[in-house]
Amino acid sequence: MSSHPATPAPRIDTLSPAETPEGIVLSLRPAGLVSRTMAFLLDLFIRLILDLVLVMSLGAFGGLGGLGFGLMLIGMFLIEWLYPIAFELGRSGATPGKQAVGLRVVMDTGLPVTPAASVTRNLLRVADFLPLAYAFGIVTMLLNRDCKRLGDLAAGTLVVYAQPVVLHDAPPDAPPLAPARPLSQGEQAAIRSWAGRAKRLTPERFEELAKLAAPALPAEVPGEKPRGASERLLGVAQWLMGKRT
Amino acid sequence: MTPMHFEATYGPLWEAFAAELALAKLGKSADGALLASQYRRVCEHLALAQSRAYPIHLVARLEALTQDAHQLIYRRQDYGLRQLSRLLRADLPRAVRAQGRFVLAALLLFAVPLVAAFLLAWSGPDFALRMLDASQLRDFEAMYGDGKNVLGRLREAGDDWQMFGVYIFHNVGIGFRCFGAGILAGVGSAFMLLYNGLVIGAVAGHLTRVGLGHNFWPFVATHSAFELTGIVLCGAAGLRMGLGWLAPGRLGRIEALAASARAAVPIVYAAFFLLLVAAAFEAFWSSAAWVAPNVKYGVAAVCWALVVAWLGLMGRHTGRETNHAR
Repeated sequence: MSSHPATPAPRIDTLSPAETPEGIVLSLRPAGLVSRTMAFLLDLFIRLILDLVLVMSLGAFGGLGGLGFGLMLIGMFLIEWLYPIAFELGRSGATPGKQAVGLRVVMDTGLPVTPAASVTRNLLRVADFLPLAYAFGIVTMLLNRDCKRLGDLAAGTLVVYAQPVVLHDAPPDAPPLAPARPLSQGEQAAIRSWAGRAKRLTPERFEELAKLAAPALPAEVPGEKPRGASERLLGVAQWLMGKRT
Repeated sequence: MTPMHFEATYGPLWEAFAAELALAKLGKSADGALLASQYRRVCEHLALAQSRAYPIHLVARLEALTQDAHQLIYRRQDYGLRQLSRLLRADLPRAVRAQGRFVLAALLLFAVPLVAAFLLAWSGPDFALRMLDASQLRDFEAMYGDGKNVLGRLREAGDDWQMFGVYIFHNVGIGFRCFGAGILAGVGSAFMLLYNGLVIGAVAGHLTRVGLGHNFWPFVATHSAFELTGIVLCGAAGLRMGLGWLAPGRLGRIEALAASARAAVPIVYAAFFLLLVAAAFEAFWSSAAWVAPNVKYGVAAVCWALVVAWLGLMGRHTGRETNHAR
Protein backbone atom coordinates (compact mmCIF):
# COMPACT_ATOMS: atom_id res chain seq x y z
CA MET A 1 0.00 0.00 0.00
CA SER A 2 1.69 3.16 -1.20
CA SER A 3 -0.71 5.86 0.01
CA HIS A 4 -1.22 6.44 3.68
CA PRO A 5 -4.79 5.65 4.74
CA ALA A 6 -5.14 9.00 6.52
CA THR A 7 -4.80 10.97 3.28
CA PRO A 8 -7.71 10.13 1.01
CA ALA A 9 -6.52 10.28 -2.56
CA PRO A 10 -8.64 9.39 -5.59
CA ARG A 11 -8.29 5.64 -5.94
CA ILE A 12 -7.19 4.32 -9.28
CA ASP A 13 -7.59 0.66 -8.34
CA THR A 14 -10.74 -1.23 -7.38
CA LEU A 15 -9.64 -2.00 -3.83
CA SER A 16 -12.25 -1.32 -1.20
CA PRO A 17 -10.57 -0.25 2.04
CA ALA A 18 -12.18 -1.24 5.33
CA GLU A 19 -10.83 -0.01 8.64
CA THR A 20 -10.86 -2.48 11.51
CA PRO A 21 -11.18 -1.83 15.24
CA GLU A 22 -7.44 -2.53 15.51
CA GLY A 23 -6.78 0.60 13.48
CA ILE A 24 -5.50 -1.12 10.37
CA VAL A 25 -6.97 -0.94 6.91
CA LEU A 26 -7.92 -4.14 5.13
CA SER A 27 -7.83 -3.84 1.36
CA LEU A 28 -10.75 -5.90 0.14
CA ARG A 29 -10.61 -6.83 -3.50
CA PRO A 30 -14.17 -6.88 -4.94
CA ALA A 31 -14.76 -9.60 -7.49
CA GLY A 32 -15.87 -8.55 -10.94
CA LEU A 33 -18.69 -9.61 -13.17
CA VAL A 34 -16.85 -12.41 -14.95
CA SER A 35 -15.62 -14.32 -11.91
CA ARG A 36 -18.97 -13.90 -10.20
CA THR A 37 -20.78 -15.21 -13.26
CA MET A 38 -18.44 -18.19 -13.34
CA ALA A 39 -19.17 -18.89 -9.69
CA PHE A 40 -22.89 -18.51 -10.32
CA LEU A 41 -22.84 -20.94 -13.23
CA LEU A 42 -20.91 -23.49 -11.17
CA ASP A 43 -23.44 -23.15 -8.36
CA LEU A 44 -26.29 -23.45 -10.83
CA PHE A 45 -24.75 -26.66 -12.13
CA ILE A 46 -24.33 -28.06 -8.61
CA ARG A 47 -27.91 -27.12 -7.73
CA LEU A 48 -29.21 -28.81 -10.85
CA ILE A 49 -27.27 -31.97 -9.99
CA LEU A 50 -28.66 -31.90 -6.44
CA ASP A 51 -32.18 -31.44 -7.80
CA LEU A 52 -31.64 -34.29 -10.21
CA VAL A 53 -30.34 -36.58 -7.46
CA LEU A 54 -33.34 -35.64 -5.34
CA VAL A 55 -35.80 -36.36 -8.12
CA MET A 56 -34.13 -39.65 -9.04
CA SER A 57 -33.74 -40.96 -5.50
CA LEU A 58 -37.22 -39.99 -4.31
CA GLY A 59 -38.81 -40.76 -7.64
CA ALA A 60 -37.32 -44.25 -7.43
CA PHE A 61 -39.39 -44.93 -4.32
CA GLY A 62 -42.60 -45.17 -6.24
CA GLY A 63 -44.20 -46.79 -3.24
CA LEU A 64 -43.80 -43.64 -1.19
CA GLY A 65 -46.23 -41.89 -3.50
CA GLY A 66 -47.27 -38.54 -2.13
CA LEU A 67 -44.70 -38.64 0.67
CA GLY A 68 -41.82 -38.95 -1.80
CA PHE A 69 -43.22 -36.16 -3.94
CA GLY A 70 -43.74 -33.93 -0.93
CA LEU A 71 -40.21 -34.51 0.35
CA MET A 72 -38.91 -33.82 -3.14
CA LEU A 73 -40.65 -30.45 -3.28
CA ILE A 74 -39.44 -29.55 0.21
CA GLY A 75 -35.93 -30.53 -0.83
CA MET A 76 -36.16 -28.41 -3.96
CA PHE A 77 -37.41 -25.50 -1.89
CA LEU A 78 -34.42 -25.84 0.42
CA ILE A 79 -32.01 -26.08 -2.51
CA GLU A 80 -33.51 -23.08 -4.25
CA TRP A 81 -33.62 -20.70 -1.29
CA LEU A 82 -31.31 -21.99 1.44
CA TYR A 83 -28.37 -23.38 -0.54
CA PRO A 84 -26.48 -20.07 -0.79
CA ILE A 85 -27.42 -18.93 2.71
CA ALA A 86 -26.28 -22.14 4.37
CA PHE A 87 -22.93 -22.11 2.60
CA GLU A 88 -22.28 -18.40 3.08
CA LEU A 89 -22.81 -18.75 6.83
CA GLY A 90 -20.43 -21.69 6.91
CA ARG A 91 -16.75 -21.67 7.67
CA SER A 92 -15.54 -20.51 4.27
CA GLY A 93 -18.17 -17.85 3.74
CA ALA A 94 -18.77 -18.98 0.18
CA THR A 95 -20.88 -21.36 -1.86
CA PRO A 96 -18.95 -24.21 -3.52
CA GLY A 97 -19.00 -22.32 -6.81
CA LYS A 98 -17.58 -19.17 -5.22
CA GLN A 99 -15.01 -21.24 -3.38
CA ALA A 100 -13.87 -22.85 -6.60
CA VAL A 101 -13.39 -19.45 -8.23
CA GLY A 102 -11.68 -18.17 -5.06
CA LEU A 103 -14.37 -15.77 -3.90
CA ARG A 104 -15.89 -15.10 -0.51
CA VAL A 105 -18.79 -13.05 0.80
CA VAL A 106 -17.95 -10.53 3.53
CA MET A 107 -19.62 -7.49 5.05
CA ASP A 108 -18.55 -4.02 3.88
CA THR A 109 -16.48 -3.86 7.06
CA GLY A 110 -14.50 -6.96 6.14
CA LEU A 111 -16.25 -8.99 8.82
CA PRO A 112 -17.74 -12.41 8.07
CA VAL A 113 -21.23 -12.13 6.64
CA THR A 114 -24.06 -12.09 9.22
CA PRO A 115 -27.16 -14.28 8.94
CA ALA A 116 -29.47 -11.30 8.33
CA ALA A 117 -27.23 -9.96 5.57
CA SER A 118 -26.94 -13.35 3.92
CA VAL A 119 -30.72 -13.78 3.97
CA THR A 120 -31.23 -10.30 2.55
CA ARG A 121 -28.78 -10.64 -0.28
CA ASN A 122 -30.07 -14.03 -1.29
CA LEU A 123 -33.78 -13.26 -1.13
CA LEU A 124 -33.15 -10.14 -3.19
CA ARG A 125 -31.90 -12.32 -6.01
CA VAL A 126 -35.56 -12.09 -7.06
CA ALA A 127 -35.13 -8.40 -7.81
CA ASP A 128 -31.69 -8.84 -9.36
CA PHE A 129 -33.10 -11.43 -11.71
CA LEU A 130 -35.66 -9.02 -13.20
CA PRO A 131 -36.63 -8.43 -15.95
CA LEU A 132 -34.80 -11.57 -17.04
CA ALA A 133 -31.44 -13.34 -16.69
CA TYR A 134 -30.16 -11.12 -13.86
CA ALA A 135 -30.32 -7.98 -16.01
CA PHE A 136 -30.86 -5.60 -13.08
CA GLY A 137 -28.13 -7.30 -11.09
CA ILE A 138 -25.63 -7.05 -13.94
CA VAL A 139 -26.38 -3.40 -14.66
CA THR A 140 -26.05 -2.50 -10.96
CA MET A 141 -22.78 -4.42 -10.74
CA LEU A 142 -21.36 -2.50 -13.67
CA LEU A 143 -22.54 0.85 -12.30
CA ASN A 144 -20.87 0.82 -8.90
CA ARG A 145 -17.19 0.49 -8.23
CA ASP A 146 -17.51 -2.25 -5.64
CA CYS A 147 -19.34 -4.43 -8.16
CA LYS A 148 -22.36 -4.98 -5.95
CA ARG A 149 -25.70 -6.21 -7.13
CA LEU A 150 -28.96 -4.93 -5.63
CA GLY A 151 -28.91 -7.61 -2.96
CA ASP A 152 -25.38 -6.64 -1.94
CA LEU A 153 -26.31 -2.97 -1.79
CA ALA A 154 -29.25 -3.66 0.48
CA ALA A 155 -27.44 -6.17 2.69
CA GLY A 156 -24.18 -4.21 2.88
CA THR A 157 -22.12 -7.15 1.67
CA LEU A 158 -19.21 -7.51 -0.73
CA VAL A 159 -18.05 -10.43 -2.81
CA VAL A 160 -14.27 -10.39 -2.62
CA TYR A 161 -11.34 -12.51 -3.68
CA ALA A 162 -10.34 -14.68 -0.75
CA GLN A 163 -6.62 -14.80 -1.60
CA PRO A 164 -4.44 -11.73 -2.12
CA VAL A 165 -2.57 -11.33 -5.40
CA VAL A 166 1.18 -11.56 -5.09
CA LEU A 167 2.94 -9.14 -7.45
CA HIS A 168 6.04 -8.50 -5.35
CA ASP A 169 8.65 -10.88 -4.04
CA ALA A 170 11.61 -10.24 -1.83
CA PRO A 171 14.32 -8.36 -3.80
CA PRO A 172 16.81 -10.76 -5.41
CA ASP A 173 20.16 -11.09 -3.71
CA ALA A 174 22.95 -8.69 -4.70
CA PRO A 175 26.07 -7.22 -3.05
CA PRO A 176 24.90 -4.12 -1.14
CA LEU A 177 25.78 -0.71 -2.52
CA ALA A 178 25.31 2.60 -0.72
CA PRO A 179 23.32 5.19 -2.69
CA ALA A 180 25.07 8.31 -3.96
CA ARG A 181 22.99 10.60 -1.78
CA PRO A 182 20.47 10.27 1.04
CA LEU A 183 17.11 9.12 -0.38
CA SER A 184 13.68 10.30 0.71
CA GLN A 185 11.21 7.73 2.01
CA GLY A 186 9.28 7.85 -1.26
CA GLU A 187 12.40 7.21 -3.29
CA GLN A 188 13.39 4.35 -1.03
CA ALA A 189 9.96 2.80 -1.38
CA ALA A 190 10.08 3.18 -5.17
CA ILE A 191 13.45 1.44 -5.42
CA ARG A 192 12.40 -1.36 -3.12
CA SER A 193 9.17 -2.02 -4.98
CA TRP A 194 11.07 -1.93 -8.28
CA ALA A 195 13.41 -4.59 -6.91
CA GLY A 196 10.46 -6.66 -5.75
CA ARG A 197 9.25 -7.02 -9.33
CA ALA A 198 12.50 -8.48 -10.65
CA LYS A 199 10.87 -11.80 -11.45
CA ARG A 200 7.83 -10.33 -13.17
CA LEU A 201 9.39 -7.77 -15.52
CA THR A 202 11.40 -8.53 -18.63
CA PRO A 203 15.13 -7.82 -18.12
CA GLU A 204 14.98 -4.98 -20.71
CA ARG A 205 12.11 -3.21 -18.96
CA PHE A 206 13.77 -3.84 -15.62
CA GLU A 207 16.98 -2.20 -16.86
CA GLU A 208 15.05 0.70 -18.43
CA LEU A 209 13.31 1.43 -15.13
CA ALA A 210 16.63 1.19 -13.28
CA LYS A 211 18.12 3.88 -15.53
CA LEU A 212 15.50 6.34 -14.29
CA ALA A 213 17.14 6.07 -10.89
CA ALA A 214 20.59 6.91 -12.29
CA PRO A 215 21.04 10.10 -10.17
CA ALA A 216 20.79 8.00 -7.01
CA LEU A 217 23.28 5.41 -8.21
CA PRO A 218 26.79 5.65 -6.84
CA ALA A 219 29.58 6.34 -9.34
CA GLU A 220 31.27 3.27 -10.74
CA VAL A 221 34.51 2.33 -9.05
CA PRO A 222 37.33 2.52 -11.65
CA GLY A 223 39.12 -0.79 -12.18
CA GLU A 224 36.09 -2.88 -11.23
CA LYS A 225 34.10 -4.85 -13.81
CA PRO A 226 31.41 -2.45 -15.14
CA ARG A 227 27.93 -3.40 -13.97
CA GLY A 228 24.55 -2.54 -15.50
CA ALA A 229 22.19 -0.02 -13.95
CA SER A 230 19.78 -2.69 -12.75
CA GLU A 231 22.53 -4.70 -11.08
CA ARG A 232 23.80 -1.68 -9.23
CA LEU A 233 20.28 -0.52 -8.30
CA LEU A 234 19.58 -3.98 -6.90
CA GLY A 235 22.63 -3.43 -4.71
CA VAL A 236 21.14 -0.14 -3.54
CA ALA A 237 17.85 -1.89 -2.88
CA GLN A 238 19.65 -4.47 -0.73
CA TRP A 239 21.43 -1.67 1.08
CA LEU A 240 18.08 0.00 1.73
CA MET A 241 16.71 -3.30 2.99
CA GLY A 242 19.39 -3.17 5.61
CA LYS A 243 22.09 -5.40 4.17
CA ARG A 244 25.48 -3.83 4.83
CA THR A 245 28.13 -6.44 4.01
CA MET B 1 14.93 -0.16 11.92
CA THR B 2 15.69 -1.50 8.48
CA PRO B 3 13.20 -3.81 6.76
CA MET B 4 15.59 -6.74 7.15
CA HIS B 5 16.01 -6.16 10.84
CA PHE B 6 12.24 -5.78 11.19
CA GLU B 7 11.61 -9.06 9.43
CA ALA B 8 14.34 -10.87 11.34
CA THR B 9 13.00 -9.62 14.68
CA TYR B 10 9.33 -10.35 14.17
CA GLY B 11 9.40 -13.06 11.51
CA PRO B 12 9.25 -15.92 14.06
CA LEU B 13 6.18 -14.34 15.65
CA TRP B 14 4.43 -14.10 12.27
CA GLU B 15 5.25 -17.69 11.46
CA ALA B 16 3.96 -18.88 14.82
CA PHE B 17 0.83 -16.82 14.30
CA ALA B 18 0.27 -18.24 10.81
CA ALA B 19 0.66 -21.78 12.14
CA GLU B 20 -1.80 -21.07 14.95
CA LEU B 21 -4.25 -19.59 12.44
CA ALA B 22 -4.01 -22.59 10.17
CA LEU B 23 -4.81 -24.84 13.13
CA ALA B 24 -7.74 -22.72 14.25
CA LYS B 25 -9.06 -22.63 10.67
CA LEU B 26 -9.26 -26.41 10.61
CA GLY B 27 -11.51 -26.19 13.63
CA LYS B 28 -8.93 -27.52 16.09
CA SER B 29 -8.92 -25.92 19.48
CA ALA B 30 -6.62 -22.94 19.53
CA ASP B 31 -5.61 -20.73 22.42
CA GLY B 32 -7.99 -17.81 21.88
CA ALA B 33 -6.24 -15.39 24.19
CA LEU B 34 -2.86 -16.09 22.61
CA LEU B 35 -4.34 -15.76 19.15
CA ALA B 36 -5.92 -12.41 19.98
CA SER B 37 -2.77 -10.99 21.51
CA GLN B 38 -0.68 -12.17 18.57
CA TYR B 39 -3.25 -10.67 16.21
CA ARG B 40 -2.94 -7.29 17.90
CA ARG B 41 0.85 -7.47 17.64
CA VAL B 42 0.68 -8.30 13.94
CA CYS B 43 -1.77 -5.44 13.33
CA GLU B 44 0.71 -3.14 15.03
CA HIS B 45 3.49 -4.44 12.80
CA LEU B 46 1.35 -3.93 9.71
CA ALA B 47 0.62 -0.34 10.67
CA LEU B 48 4.36 0.24 11.26
CA ALA B 49 5.31 -1.36 7.97
CA GLN B 50 2.76 0.73 6.11
CA SER B 51 3.77 4.02 7.67
CA ARG B 52 7.48 3.34 7.12
CA ALA B 53 6.85 2.30 3.50
CA TYR B 54 8.54 -1.06 3.95
CA PRO B 55 8.89 -3.30 0.87
CA ILE B 56 5.58 -4.31 -0.62
CA HIS B 57 6.12 -8.04 -0.26
CA LEU B 58 6.52 -7.55 3.48
CA VAL B 59 3.41 -5.38 3.78
CA ALA B 60 1.43 -7.78 1.60
CA ARG B 61 2.45 -10.71 3.77
CA LEU B 62 1.25 -8.91 6.90
CA GLU B 63 -1.94 -7.82 5.15
CA ALA B 64 -2.76 -11.37 4.13
CA LEU B 65 -2.09 -12.57 7.65
CA THR B 66 -4.27 -9.93 9.29
CA GLN B 67 -7.10 -10.41 6.81
CA ASP B 68 -7.16 -14.14 7.47
CA ALA B 69 -7.08 -13.60 11.20
CA HIS B 70 -9.75 -10.91 11.00
CA GLN B 71 -12.17 -13.33 9.35
CA LEU B 72 -11.40 -15.97 11.94
CA ILE B 73 -11.41 -13.87 15.08
CA TYR B 74 -14.64 -12.03 14.29
CA ARG B 75 -16.40 -15.21 13.20
CA ARG B 76 -19.74 -15.90 14.86
CA GLN B 77 -19.20 -18.28 17.71
CA ASP B 78 -22.63 -19.91 17.83
CA TYR B 79 -25.16 -20.74 15.21
CA GLY B 80 -27.91 -18.99 17.09
CA LEU B 81 -29.97 -21.98 18.18
CA ARG B 82 -30.29 -20.53 21.65
CA GLN B 83 -31.19 -17.21 20.11
CA LEU B 84 -33.85 -18.79 17.96
CA SER B 85 -36.38 -19.11 20.75
CA ARG B 86 -35.66 -15.57 21.90
CA LEU B 87 -36.11 -14.48 18.31
CA LEU B 88 -39.51 -16.15 18.11
CA ARG B 89 -40.69 -15.09 21.54
CA ALA B 90 -39.59 -11.48 21.59
CA ASP B 91 -37.49 -10.12 18.76
CA LEU B 92 -39.75 -10.88 15.82
CA PRO B 93 -43.02 -9.52 17.25
CA ARG B 94 -41.14 -6.46 18.45
CA ALA B 95 -39.61 -5.90 15.02
CA VAL B 96 -43.03 -6.22 13.40
CA ARG B 97 -44.58 -3.74 15.84
CA ALA B 98 -41.70 -1.34 15.24
CA GLN B 99 -42.75 -1.24 11.57
CA GLY B 100 -46.44 -1.03 12.46
CA ARG B 101 -47.20 1.66 9.90
CA PHE B 102 -45.90 -0.49 7.06
CA VAL B 103 -47.80 -3.50 8.32
CA LEU B 104 -50.94 -1.35 8.40
CA ALA B 105 -50.28 -0.07 4.88
CA ALA B 106 -49.69 -3.61 3.61
CA LEU B 107 -52.82 -4.79 5.41
CA LEU B 108 -54.90 -2.06 3.74
CA LEU B 109 -53.34 -2.76 0.34
CA PHE B 110 -54.27 -6.41 0.77
CA ALA B 111 -57.53 -6.39 2.73
CA VAL B 112 -59.40 -3.58 0.98
CA PRO B 113 -59.22 -5.15 -2.50
CA LEU B 114 -59.89 -8.54 -0.93
CA VAL B 115 -63.10 -7.40 0.75
CA ALA B 116 -64.18 -5.37 -2.28
CA ALA B 117 -63.54 -8.27 -4.66
CA PHE B 118 -65.34 -10.63 -2.31
CA LEU B 119 -68.44 -8.44 -2.16
CA LEU B 120 -68.44 -7.81 -5.93
CA ALA B 121 -67.99 -11.49 -6.79
CA TRP B 122 -70.58 -12.48 -4.22
CA SER B 123 -73.24 -10.14 -5.60
CA GLY B 124 -73.02 -11.30 -9.20
CA PRO B 125 -71.09 -13.47 -11.65
CA ASP B 126 -69.64 -10.58 -13.68
CA PHE B 127 -66.77 -9.57 -11.46
CA ALA B 128 -65.24 -13.01 -10.94
CA LEU B 129 -65.31 -13.58 -14.67
CA ARG B 130 -63.52 -10.29 -15.24
CA MET B 131 -60.78 -11.23 -12.76
CA LEU B 132 -60.23 -14.84 -13.84
CA ASP B 133 -60.86 -17.08 -16.79
CA ALA B 134 -64.01 -19.18 -16.82
CA SER B 135 -61.84 -22.30 -16.95
CA GLN B 136 -59.92 -21.24 -13.84
CA LEU B 137 -63.20 -20.65 -12.02
CA ARG B 138 -64.40 -24.09 -13.08
CA ASP B 139 -61.18 -25.55 -11.67
CA PHE B 140 -61.80 -23.85 -8.34
CA GLU B 141 -65.41 -25.06 -8.34
CA ALA B 142 -64.22 -28.59 -9.02
CA MET B 143 -61.63 -28.31 -6.23
CA TYR B 144 -64.18 -27.35 -3.59
CA GLY B 145 -67.08 -29.27 -5.13
CA ASP B 146 -69.00 -32.07 -3.43
CA GLY B 147 -67.47 -34.85 -5.54
CA LYS B 148 -65.21 -37.62 -4.31
CA ASN B 149 -61.68 -36.58 -5.31
CA VAL B 150 -61.65 -33.07 -4.02
CA LEU B 151 -59.95 -31.19 -1.24
CA GLY B 152 -61.59 -31.82 2.06
CA ARG B 153 -62.26 -35.48 1.29
CA LEU B 154 -60.39 -38.34 2.90
CA ARG B 155 -56.98 -38.99 1.45
CA GLU B 156 -53.81 -40.94 2.14
CA ALA B 157 -51.29 -39.72 4.68
CA GLY B 158 -48.63 -39.62 1.97
CA ASP B 159 -50.74 -37.19 0.02
CA ASP B 160 -50.73 -34.85 3.01
CA TRP B 161 -46.95 -34.81 2.76
CA GLN B 162 -47.20 -34.14 -0.93
CA MET B 163 -49.42 -31.14 -0.30
CA PHE B 164 -47.10 -29.94 2.48
CA GLY B 165 -44.27 -29.91 -0.06
CA VAL B 166 -46.42 -28.14 -2.63
CA TYR B 167 -47.46 -25.45 -0.17
CA ILE B 168 -43.93 -24.82 1.07
CA PHE B 169 -42.48 -24.68 -2.41
CA HIS B 170 -45.25 -22.50 -3.77
CA ASN B 171 -46.50 -20.27 -0.97
CA VAL B 172 -43.23 -19.46 0.74
CA GLY B 173 -41.72 -18.77 -2.66
CA ILE B 174 -44.51 -16.27 -3.35
CA GLY B 175 -43.87 -14.65 0.01
CA PHE B 176 -40.15 -14.30 -0.67
CA ARG B 177 -40.83 -12.81 -4.09
CA CYS B 178 -43.33 -10.42 -2.54
CA PHE B 179 -40.49 -9.14 -0.33
CA GLY B 180 -37.84 -9.12 -3.03
CA ALA B 181 -40.03 -7.12 -5.40
CA GLY B 182 -40.08 -4.39 -2.75
CA ILE B 183 -36.64 -3.18 -3.76
CA LEU B 184 -38.27 -1.66 -6.83
CA ALA B 185 -39.32 1.33 -4.73
CA GLY B 186 -41.96 -0.79 -3.03
CA VAL B 187 -44.10 -0.86 -6.18
CA GLY B 188 -43.52 -4.57 -6.67
CA SER B 189 -44.72 -5.46 -3.19
CA ALA B 190 -47.73 -3.16 -3.46
CA PHE B 191 -48.67 -4.78 -6.75
CA MET B 192 -48.30 -8.30 -5.34
CA LEU B 193 -50.48 -7.39 -2.34
CA LEU B 194 -53.20 -5.78 -4.47
CA TYR B 195 -53.21 -8.57 -7.01
CA ASN B 196 -53.29 -11.39 -4.48
CA GLY B 197 -56.02 -9.60 -2.51
CA LEU B 198 -58.18 -9.20 -5.60
CA VAL B 199 -57.77 -12.81 -6.74
CA ILE B 200 -58.33 -14.36 -3.32
CA GLY B 201 -61.37 -12.15 -2.72
CA ALA B 202 -62.85 -12.91 -6.12
CA VAL B 203 -62.40 -16.68 -5.70
CA ALA B 204 -63.85 -16.66 -2.20
CA GLY B 205 -66.82 -14.54 -3.28
CA HIS B 206 -67.47 -16.66 -6.32
CA LEU B 207 -67.36 -19.95 -4.43
CA THR B 208 -69.67 -18.57 -1.76
CA ARG B 209 -72.11 -17.32 -4.41
CA VAL B 210 -72.33 -20.65 -6.21
CA GLY B 211 -73.03 -22.40 -2.90
CA LEU B 212 -69.74 -24.18 -2.20
CA GLY B 213 -68.99 -22.14 0.90
CA HIS B 214 -69.64 -25.13 3.15
CA ASN B 215 -66.56 -26.80 1.63
CA PHE B 216 -64.46 -23.69 1.15
CA TRP B 217 -64.67 -21.88 4.47
CA PRO B 218 -63.80 -24.78 6.79
CA PHE B 219 -60.86 -25.56 4.53
CA VAL B 220 -59.32 -22.09 4.51
CA ALA B 221 -60.36 -20.74 7.92
CA THR B 222 -57.48 -22.15 9.97
CA HIS B 223 -54.44 -21.82 7.79
CA SER B 224 -55.50 -18.42 6.48
CA ALA B 225 -54.64 -17.04 9.92
CA PHE B 226 -50.99 -17.80 9.24
CA GLU B 227 -50.94 -17.54 5.48
CA LEU B 228 -52.68 -14.21 4.99
CA THR B 229 -50.70 -12.70 7.86
CA GLY B 230 -47.52 -14.07 6.30
CA ILE B 231 -48.31 -12.49 2.93
CA VAL B 232 -49.14 -9.16 4.53
CA LEU B 233 -45.89 -9.24 6.51
CA CYS B 234 -43.84 -10.06 3.40
CA GLY B 235 -45.50 -7.14 1.64
CA ALA B 236 -44.87 -4.89 4.63
CA ALA B 237 -41.18 -5.83 4.58
CA GLY B 238 -41.04 -5.08 0.87
CA LEU B 239 -42.70 -1.69 1.37
CA ARG B 240 -40.29 -0.89 4.20
CA MET B 241 -37.34 -1.59 1.95
CA GLY B 242 -38.85 0.33 -0.94
CA LEU B 243 -39.26 3.40 1.24
CA GLY B 244 -35.56 3.44 2.01
CA TRP B 245 -34.95 3.66 -1.70
CA LEU B 246 -37.67 6.23 -2.33
CA ALA B 247 -37.29 8.55 0.66
CA PRO B 248 -33.77 8.14 2.03
CA GLY B 249 -34.15 11.08 4.43
CA ARG B 250 -30.83 12.28 5.79
CA LEU B 251 -28.90 9.20 4.69
CA GLY B 252 -27.30 8.47 1.36
CA ARG B 253 -29.56 6.44 -0.87
CA ILE B 254 -27.47 3.28 -0.61
CA GLU B 255 -27.09 3.62 3.15
CA ALA B 256 -30.83 4.22 3.49
CA LEU B 257 -31.52 1.11 1.45
CA ALA B 258 -29.19 -0.95 3.62
CA ALA B 259 -30.73 0.43 6.80
CA SER B 260 -34.28 -0.24 5.67
CA ALA B 261 -33.32 -3.75 4.54
CA ARG B 262 -31.95 -4.38 8.04
CA ALA B 263 -35.25 -3.24 9.51
CA ALA B 264 -37.23 -5.35 7.05
CA VAL B 265 -35.41 -8.67 7.45
CA PRO B 266 -36.85 -9.60 10.88
CA ILE B 267 -40.32 -9.15 9.39
CA VAL B 268 -39.37 -11.59 6.63
CA TYR B 269 -38.25 -14.07 9.29
CA ALA B 270 -41.63 -13.70 10.99
CA ALA B 271 -43.43 -14.14 7.67
CA PHE B 272 -41.35 -17.21 6.82
CA PHE B 273 -42.24 -18.77 10.15
CA LEU B 274 -45.94 -18.03 9.65
CA LEU B 275 -45.94 -19.41 6.11
CA LEU B 276 -44.27 -22.62 7.29
CA VAL B 277 -46.93 -23.07 9.98
CA ALA B 278 -49.58 -22.26 7.36
CA ALA B 279 -48.23 -24.94 5.02
CA ALA B 280 -48.32 -27.52 7.81
CA PHE B 281 -51.90 -26.63 8.78
CA GLU B 282 -53.03 -26.52 5.18
CA ALA B 283 -51.59 -29.94 4.44
CA PHE B 284 -52.46 -31.87 7.59
CA TRP B 285 -55.42 -30.12 9.20
CA SER B 286 -57.41 -28.12 6.70
CA SER B 287 -57.88 -31.15 4.48
CA ALA B 288 -59.01 -33.44 7.28
CA ALA B 289 -62.59 -34.15 6.25
CA TRP B 290 -63.52 -36.06 9.39
CA VAL B 291 -63.34 -32.89 11.48
CA ALA B 292 -66.69 -31.15 11.78
CA PRO B 293 -66.76 -27.64 10.29
CA ASN B 294 -67.70 -26.14 13.63
CA VAL B 295 -64.59 -27.61 15.25
CA LYS B 296 -62.51 -26.17 12.43
CA TYR B 297 -64.07 -22.75 12.93
CA GLY B 298 -63.29 -23.00 16.62
CA VAL B 299 -59.65 -23.91 15.98
CA ALA B 300 -59.47 -21.15 13.37
CA ALA B 301 -60.66 -18.59 15.90
CA VAL B 302 -58.01 -19.77 18.36
CA CYS B 303 -55.33 -19.59 15.65
CA TRP B 304 -56.29 -16.08 14.58
CA ALA B 305 -56.20 -15.03 18.23
CA LEU B 306 -52.80 -16.67 18.66
CA VAL B 307 -51.33 -14.90 15.64
CA VAL B 308 -52.67 -11.53 16.70
CA ALA B 309 -51.47 -12.10 20.25
CA TRP B 310 -48.05 -13.18 19.05
CA LEU B 311 -47.55 -10.12 16.91
CA GLY B 312 -49.34 -7.71 19.19
CA LEU B 313 -48.36 -8.70 22.69
CA MET B 314 -45.28 -10.89 22.88
CA GLY B 315 -41.94 -9.33 23.65
CA ARG B 316 -43.39 -6.26 25.31
CA HIS B 317 -42.39 -7.31 28.80
CA THR B 318 -38.86 -8.45 28.00
CA GLY B 319 -38.46 -5.26 25.99
CA ARG B 320 -38.90 -3.21 29.11
CA GLU B 321 -36.45 -5.41 30.99
CA THR B 322 -33.66 -5.00 28.49
CA ASN B 323 -34.29 -1.27 28.41
CA HIS B 324 -33.74 -1.15 32.15
CA ALA B 325 -30.64 -3.25 31.82
CA ARG B 326 -29.13 -0.81 29.38
